[in-house]
Formats: sequence, C-alpha cells, structure tokens
Amino acid sequence: MSSAKPPGDVGGAGEQLTTASVALAASGPRTDGRPRSAVRAWAWWLLRRVGLAVLTLWAVSVIVFLSTTALGDPVRAILGKDYEVSPERVAAISAELHLDRSPVERYVIWLGDLLSGNLGNSVVNGLPVGELIGERLTNSLFLVTIVALIMIPLAMLVALVSARFRGGPIDQTLQVINLTLAGIPEFVTGILLVALFSTTVLHLLPAVTVLPPGEMAWQRPSSMVLPVATLVLAIVPYLARILRANLLEAMDADYAELARLKGVPESAVLLRHALPNTLVPAVQVTALQLAWLLGGVVLVEYLFNYPGIGALLVDSVRNADFPVVQALAMIIAAAYIVVNLVADLLSILLTPRARTGMLA
Amino acid sequence: MGGSGARPNPGITRRRLLQFGAAGLALGAVSSLAGCAADPVGATTSRLLHGATGGGLKDTLDAHFPVTVPDIARVRNLYETLLRYSPEYEIEPCLAESWERNADATVWTFSLRRGVTFHDGRPFTADDVAASVLRMCDPEQPSAYALTISKIIDRESSGALDEHTYRMVLTSPYAVLDQTMANYTLGMVPADYDPDHPIGTGPFRYESFVPGQRSLFVRHTDHWERTADFEELVILDFADDAAKVNALLAGQVQSVDNLPRYLAGAIEEQGAHALVSESGGWTPFTIRVDQEPFSDVRVRQALRLVVDRQEMIDQAFSGFGRVANDLYAPFDPAYIGDELPQRVQDIDEAKSLLKQAGQEDLQVELVTSSGIGAGAVESANLFAQHARKAGIDVRVNKVDSSIFYGDQYLSWPFAQDFWETRMYLLQAEACALSDSPYNETHFSHPVFEQLIHDAQREVDDAKRRTLLQDAQRIEYEEGGLVVWGFKSHVDAYSDFVTGFEPVIEMPMSGFRFNRASPVDEA
Repeated sequence: MSSAKPPGDVGGAGEQLTTASVALAASGPRTDGRPRSAVRAWAWWLLRRVGLAVLTLWAVSVIVFLSTTALGDPVRAILGKDYEVSPERVAAISAELHLDRSPVERYVIWLGDLLSGNLGNSVVNGLPVGELIGERLTNSLFLVTIVALIMIPLAMLVALVSARFRGGPIDQTLQVINLTLAGIPEFVTGILLVALFSTTVLHLLPAVTVLPPGEMAWQRPSSMVLPVATLVLAIVPYLARILRANLLEAMDADYAELARLKGVPESAVLLRHALPNTLVPAVQVTALQLAWLLGGVVLVEYLFNYPGIGALLVDSVRNADFPVVQALAMIIAAAYIVVNLVADLLSILLTPRARTGMLA
Repeated sequence: MGGSGARPNPGITRRRLLQFGAAGLALGAVSSLAGCAADPVGATTSRLLHGATGGGLKDTLDAHFPVTVPDIARVRNLYETLLRYSPEYEIEPCLAESWERNADATVWTFSLRRGVTFHDGRPFTADDVAASVLRMCDPEQPSAYALTISKIIDRESSGALDEHTYRMVLTSPYAVLDQTMANYTLGMVPADYDPDHPIGTGPFRYESFVPGQRSLFVRHTDHWERTADFEELVILDFADDAAKVNALLAGQVQSVDNLPRYLAGAIEEQGAHALVSESGGWTPFTIRVDQEPFSDVRVRQALRLVVDRQEMIDQAFSGFGRVANDLYAPFDPAYIGDELPQRVQDIDEAKSLLKQAGQEDLQVELVTSSGIGAGAVESANLFAQHARKAGIDVRVNKVDSSIFYGDQYLSWPFAQDFWETRMYLLQAEACALSDSPYNETHFSHPVFEQLIHDAQREVDDAKRRTLLQDAQRIEYEEGGLVVWGFKSHVDAYSDFVTGFEPVIEMPMSGFRFNRASPVDEA
C-alpha cells in the first residue's frame, strides 16, 4: 500500500517482456513458406493477446471472488457494534449478498451481473456501485494522465542529460538528487510540499482537495498541483535511473563504438543509436508505473483528501463492502492488463526484429 | 476566508520538529513570506467549512441512525430533539418547552414549543413527534438511544393530545425518560420523513450529500432559537489526520474535530486555536467476569491496581483527560467515583491479591484494535508494561477493526471498548445488565440488577440517587471494567471563526455551528 516502487527488477523486466512478446509475435500458424499479409498477422496476434487477457481477467475474477467471500462474516463487519441489536438489517444485508446460496451459485450470479454491467449496490449504504465509483475513477484516471504527461518527458530528459555527460558534475548532481528523492517515501514528500507551499512557509496552494458538489478534480487546477508534484517526485527518480542505466549500456555497445569510430558526434550516437534501443524497456517500466498509479497511491489520496479509487478501496475493504471491493479489484486488474497489452504492442512496433518477425 | 498572510513567523520548537521532521527545521528557518492563500471557495456567500474525522461509505443522514463522526456532526445540524443536554450536561428544553410525568412515571406529557417550522416551511406539530417516536422505537430496528423505551412504550396509547401536546404512555414506569429523550439520535422529523431528502427543524437544511466525502447544508432562516450567521455549512470527511490539520492551517476549513491531541500546542503557533473540553468519554479495559481466571474477583482487582492511571492519560491521551476510578458517567448527579477511595497503582497489593488467588504467574491476552479509537492501542501497550511490574505477563494482541467488532466482539475475555458521555442509568442499561446489548464483561449480578430496575421506576430523585450509588459501589467492588480515565475533547478552529465553546456531551462545541460567527479580517 505504501511502496512507491512496484516490483520489477531494474532494466531486466523490459527485456524479458520483449522477448516474450517477440516469441508470441513469431509464433503464428504457418501454412506455407510465404510471408503472410501484415493485416492477418497483426489480427492473429491481437486475437491471441485479447484472448489471453480475457482468460487472465477470468482467473482474476475467481481469485477476487474467493478472497472477498473469505473476509469473514460480512454482515458483522458491516454492522459492527449494531450487529447484536438489528436482526432486521442482518437479514436485509444477507439477502442483498445472496448469503443463503452456495459459493458457486453466488459466483455465477455475480459474474453474470458483472458481464451485463450491473455492479450491484453497496451493502453499506445501498447506493449503486457504479454511481459510487464513477466520479472517483474519473478523478483517478485524470491524476494518472497528468502525472504521466509530466513524468515521461521529464524522466527521459533527466536520463538523456545524465547519459550524455556521464560521470561529469551534472551527472553526479542528478544522481545524488535522484537517489535522495528515491529514498523518501512519497507521503513524506507530500507532507514537505504541503508545509512549504500551503501551511508553514507560504500560503500559495490549497493543502487538500475540496471539491464542491458535482465538481470534478480538473475544475480545481490549483489543488491538483501538490498531489501531481508529489507523485512526479516519487516516480521520476526511479524511472530516470532505469533509463540512464539502459542508455549507458547501449552507449557501451559495439554498434555505438563503431559509430564513434566512423566520426559520428557523441550527441548523435546517444539520440540516433542508443536511444531507440532503450525505448522498449522504458515503455515496459512506464506501463507498470501507470497501472500502479491508478489504485496504488492511497497514501497520497489520504494526504490530499483526493477523491480517488485507492482510498475508496481501502474504506470498502475495511467495511467488508463486497460489491465495491469486487468492482474496484476488477477495474484495477483490467487496467494492468490493458496497459501491459499496449506496452507489448508498442514494444513490437519499436523492435525491428519483432516487427518483421510478425510477417516472417 | 483566504489567509491574510500576515501571520507571525512561528519559531522553532521541539514539538514542531517532531511534527514535521527535518522539514520543521528547514522551513521554520525560512522567514515566512507574505503570500495570499488560494481561496478555496467563493467568498460571495459566507460559508463555514468543517473537517470531520473519519467517515466513509457508511455515512448516512438518517436522523435516528448516525454511525460515523461526520454523521453525528450532520444530524446535529439537521435535526433537533425534544430535550437536549446543555454544554454543562444538564437537561434543558429544546423542541419541547416543558414536560411532566405522572406519579408513577408511566405517562409523560411534552408541551411543544410554538412557532417551530421544518426546513420546508411546514409547522412542527405533535403529530410529527408521534411519527418520529414510532420510527425511532421501531421494534425491528430501534435507534441506539431508544432501545429501552422501544421495549416499554405503549404504541397504541401514545400520541398527540392536541397540536402542541404529545403524550407518551409506557407499559412500565421509567423515571429517566427525560435523560433518554435528550440524546442526539432521537431527532424530530416530519411525519412523512424520507432519509433520502432529509427534513428537520435544525439550524441548517439539506442541500447535497456524498457519503464519504462531503455534505452541503444551507442555513434555516426560520430557526426558532438562533439563525446561523453563516449562510452555508460544508462538512468534509477526512480519512487522514495530517490532511485534516493541513486543511485547517491552509485556511481551507475553519474548524476540525478530534484533533490529534499531541498537536494541540503546535497549532496554536500557526494561527489556529485548540478547543479543549472535559467529557465523560472513556476507553475501558473490559474483563469477562464469567471466565477463568477473571471470575475470581481478586484477579480483577489486581488488574485494576496495576494501572498507573495518570501515566496512561499522559501517554495515551497526551495529558488531555482526567483520572477515573473504575466507574463511569462522571456527569451524573449520582456519580460517586470522586467520593470512593481513588484506586492508584499498588503493585504490592496487586501481587498479594494474585497470590491469594493462586495466580502468581498470571498470563493473559489483551485484545486491542486501532478501530476502538484514539489512545486505545497506546493504553493497551502501557497496561502490559504496568502489569509486568506485578509479574503479570500480558500479551497484547492488536487486531483489525473488522475482527475486533466481528464474531468475537462482546466475547473477548480481556479487551477494550469505547463509550461517550452518558448518564449512569442509561450507561448501565447499555453495558452492565445481563440483557444489555453491549455487556462486554458479562456482568450479571442479581442485587445490582434489582437496584437498576428499582431506579428505573423510582420517581423520587433522592431515593433514585441512593439506589444508583449502591449500584456503583457494587461495580466498584466487583465489576469487570477498568475505567482508568475520562478523555477530553480536543478540537481546533481558525482565526476566522468564533463562537465555539467547550461542550461536555460531544466534540466541536457540540457541533452547534449556528453559534459560530465569521471574524472580519480587518
């Protein structure tokens, strides 16, 4: 819940995924030796990947369902102290959750509802889950989008500058800043930013998000500044270090050396030869970060009172509000799967060997 | 509304360093530049924003079933009760101007205040009272404070005598109905009440509400007592203490309830004020009197004697509280906790009691949870330290809130719970009788129960007091509760609002926001 760094070993994750996607791309049915049409090859690849995604989601749905029904007695968890004195409500909530049926039956009912877009009602307050989640999901997506638009170019820039002036004072300085920031948990960064810009030193920006009824987060741009800055500061150092390491590896490769021997200037070696070869791992690592941002920034949501889905998920788990937990878990799982699919697609497009392998 | 920016530069203190870590040093050293706070709301209407603690999807505006702290803040402003508790916790008239009972306290007659209107302009009448009472006394689902009367009310005979008189008839005598009717979950609503479009007589009327996030209320210009100075009231939920305090210091809210107690000093230096009020709230250790080894009264007394009560208040309540004497309801006129010998830590006595009981190497498990409220886990850990001095091995088992209040709630052998201010008889009904809904200690004492039942029927105040004091002595000698302290409410408000006063019954000046006024920034 608090770690700003999703798992994934530095630099390696991208490589493995790439080879996997290349292998996937290369393994279409081959009826004869002639190259297949590009459209058919791509369609086949997409079909396979979407099929896999659906299979994964189904597996996730089983896990989510099993783990939520194993949370203990939901009725007690919902009513807390009132369980003893409200038999009426106990019965009502049991009916809402179909607790009288077998788990298998409950799963089938639930999956059917999910597929028909009916997310059910919250057992805690009876409101439709879609209504409860809608606004918060939009706010979370908006936050992720803004952070992504800032973090990707910024991390790239830092990595390129570091790699270009490898070992020099600029690189050293950037490395120290990166390491320092990477060592501070994001909520601490947030607290410091609030103290600096909102409460203790300056009074320039709102400390928390206060949205009047019916307003969405983007209608209050000033209150977006600190949450976005906190997340950017949490992720950019991590991304920049990975990108820099990949760039340096490419700069030491034979082809870069050959380019230098042919008299290509160092900047061109970096931008024309090294950079394209490091894009694939960059895409993969960034994708994981984006998926994590959607639901994993609970502490930042708490600190800025930002109405996103992370805090809602925690609240719902605490209340054992099954329908909301299930819906959010499925949404977050779907986000991971979609983001990975897009990342793999980009990886193939950015890797000439894999691109042509599609048609081989 | 916006910050004036002309706040004195706060100096560096040890507390601030703790509060902000190294940032306190770095930032405190930077001289405070005059900036203008971003105004979070349009200053065209006067709007009071209050930051309430906790809340979530459980939030409700239902008059009779508030669950969370934000709920309580909201129902207090939407609805009013027939009687109410004054800031000093004495009963005073509210929607009823006067009330009387017959000789045996089976018939209670309430004369209603005239000229009271609901938020939609309709007059408040005795028919509304009748409907409200039926709703809160629903046998299937009674309101928390209506449990006792829901069992003894004669629904057929109770009702409106005329437009301004309501009569409640009971099937058995109940001498403290006035104490019951003054509680905040028994608000008066119109006969056609719909919780989705809530209407009451309170100083603010409903405008919009998002569970877990916020509510917007508009002042009720026809309020019988005092029309609010603020045109609008926004109550915001805060899941996080840091966010709540930051919002106050940044000028985005004007008041917050349940301030983390250790910050009370620090916020004074930053243009906000702590509001501290005594209360009767308590966070007891609950010992099952029907289970080995606790069924031996000597073991229970030993556990009561190992506690260093003042240290517990200093540590768990940051000093905001006062020592208690294993009895509850300190604001009840019959309270004798101050007259009985004050229990203090007495390790030798505790050891000798345990030796007599043959429990010299006692090992117990104490179940706690952060869900019990502020100070609970801290006091549990302290208890383990104190008990070790007497050779008792206490293993503190911290569980999640959903576990604590799950299947095993009310059957933990040794645990904790929390209660707010109540009168003695109402509290005993809730937790000390064998048929009480929340009898954590499984206390079941025939003489005690007889005293309580007699007191419920005793209309003579002096005689009732004697009965209640005898009951308290039994609990003091044999009960299963370790009541080590009464907490104080600690809330906070900014320079831009005034009118808050200490209130015993609940935090934040009793959430009576119609008494708050804006302060000109001149």
